[in-house]
Amino acid sequence: MKELLYLYCVAKDKPSTCNFEDLGIKTHPIYFQGTYALVSWVSPDDFSEDNLKKHLADMGWVEKSIRLHERVIEEIMKDQAVLPFKFGTVFESEANIEKLLKSQNVEFKAVLDLLAGKEEWGFKIYCNSEYFKDALCSGNERIQEKDKEIASAGKGKAFFLKKKKDEIIKDIINEKISEYTKDCFERLKVTAVDTKINNILPKEVTEKTEEMVLNAAFLINKERIKGFVNVLAYLKTKYLNKGLIFDCTGPWPPYNFCSAVKQ
Amino acid sequence: MDNSIKTLQNKKSYLDIRKKERVTLLEILDRALEKGVVISGDIVISVADVDLVYLGLKVLLSSVETMERLRGAPFAGATEEPT
Repeated sequence: MKELLYLYCVAKDKPSTCNFEDLGIKTHPIYFQGTYALVSWVSPDDFSEDNLKKHLADMGWVEKSIRLHERVIEEIMKDQAVLPFKFGTVFESEANIEKLLKSQNVEFKAVLDLLAGKEEWGFKIYCNSEYFKDALCSGNERIQEKDKEIASAGKGKAFFLKKKKDEIIKDIINEKISEYTKDCFERLKVTAVDTKINNILPKEVTEKTEEMVLNAAFLINKERIKGFVNVLAYLKTKYLNKGLIFDCTGPWPPYNFCSAVKQ
Repeated sequence: MDNSIKTLQNKKSYLDIRKKERVTLLEILDRALEKGVVISGDIVISVADVDLVYLGLKVLLSSVETMERLRGAPFAGATEEPT
């Protein structure tokens, strides 16, 4: 079977590093009118439609391949703005990639111009809801009221009232989490050019004991990173001992800010 | 050269902002698997295939549960635009 072409990213300047010896891959650029697609030859054993599907069930393969995808793009973005492609974007020929560069020429250039001089940063908040329960519920009037009712109620009614109380606790926690995460997001947003809120990931995949309560991405002007960091420092102080855990990572390729490219 | 080292050191001192080497697989999956430029190449990963990866990851980390939560809605509170 014929070798395939794996597409990592598109950029405006010819990428300087093309040989990733430590990764065992050699990339090469394909040019069309002011844009370069950075690609490498891959084996159909890995990336043919059928094999790719099979491999996706193999976490070892996924991890190795997706980290490689990330490494290559990060190397290129050290020098210039890039449009990172989704993992596993594969073509059958150079001609097909040229066709893509041609059909999206205006869009690619426009988005690359928008992304120039900017970085993506990830910001996730995790929350210890047990901590919240203790901190928020002791002394809460709505709960104290229910406790009184429970104490004076008969067995059957008490059971019902306890259920009600649990609902109130849940509401209070959700209100507070909502208030806190919104505050954090809005304050960080002021320093950003663009923002994106992504799906919450469940505990099963985050490997954390705390629940994720915010999964956001910020596009920050490189010159304003300091402002972003300052807000983060402020938030850390403000929410100290409030059961929130902040997790900020970056700079990332702007995966979350490529949607302006026509699909 | 000196300049680039300095930049790197500055970045390391960004409070708790972590350097990329320590970033978990999940952080990368959360981005590169579903986001980035989505163009129909000759071969692409479908939404169903993405589920497959998450399922693989989940099986790797813990026991099987329903798929819905993985594709759950974003947290309601912060999606609202500020007024």
